[in-house]
Amino acid sequence: MEEAKNVTAKPSLEDTGTTPGVAPPGASSAGSVPAGSVPAGETSAGDSSAAPAAPDTRNTGPGRLLIAVYAVFAISATARAGYQILTKFSEAPLAYLLSAFAAVVYLVATVSLAKSGRTWFRVSVVAVLVELVGVLVVGALSVFDSVNFPHETVWSLFGRGYAFIPLLLPVLGLIWLYRRRPAPNRA
Amino acid sequence: MDAYFYIIMVVGLVSTVICLTAGILKKAPNDTTILSVAAVELSLLVYLVGSIVRVAGGEPIAGEPWEFWGYLLTALLLPVAAVYWAILERTRWSNFVLAAVGVTALVMAARMNQIWY
Repeated sequence: MEEAKNVTAKPSLEDTGTTPGVAPPGASSAGSVPAGSVPAGETSAGDSSAAPAAPDTRNTGPGRLLIAVYAVFAISATARAGYQILTKFSEAPLAYLLSAFAAVVYLVATVSLAKSGRTWFRVSVVAVLVELVGVLVVGALSVFDSVNFPHETVWSLFGRGYAFIPLLLPVLGLIWLYRRRPAPNRA
Repeated sequence: MDAYFYIIMVVGLVSTVICLTAGILKKAPNDTTILSVAAVELSLLVYLVGSIVRVAGGEPIAGEPWEFWGYLLTALLLPVAAVYWAILERTRWSNFVLAAVGVTALVMAARMNQIWY
């Protein structure tokens, strides 16, 4: 379905490079146009005037990198929260519940970014906004109230333990969601 | 840090540099970038086999053993998942996905070393 939309929306041959994400069997043929595929992905994502014709997906081009990074954080945050809650929950229940909450946010963001359609778009926006608020609030609390927030979460110290990627991700996520927002006139 | 870590560090960093370069040069994933990620997987497999041999030989893991094996098995899945995700849509961006594998494996190998010793 998405595939068909992509084809009608972007007649250029080059665009095949951006769409085989939904057509794995065609991956081999896509290999013949590696160079041309790149600008196509950028223009279709960046040109807002093309928004009404663009397919309502966010799992293409740079979005794939974004989803991959979100997936890594979903896995690591889930593993970390699970480990903390199973082994030492009583030490710092609030911090470890925050860890678990962060893990859920990353999971929801990963899945919703990979899905097409307006509903998943809205879920993505909410998840990424919650993530942004979370990293800012938890980051600030861990700096200014380190007595009550001494225990590590993904968002502690604005994600310093993770090379500040947790702070960068929601910003990039919101930019990407804005560029790939669904057309306003489609219900 | 033991030899396993340094092997993964070197292979991981080389793979990341190769994939980043290919991405910056606007190339789609090709044999070079995918094989570099396969090399990361291979170095992780060496770590797996080496660790099994060491545990079988009676060497203790200082930290939580299941945490160590959890990290190792997750790390082993990453290159496979990244290559799968990258070849579904072969654009320059997929090379950046592949580039993430090397550094992630490096970080995870560092953590595995911490747990072991």
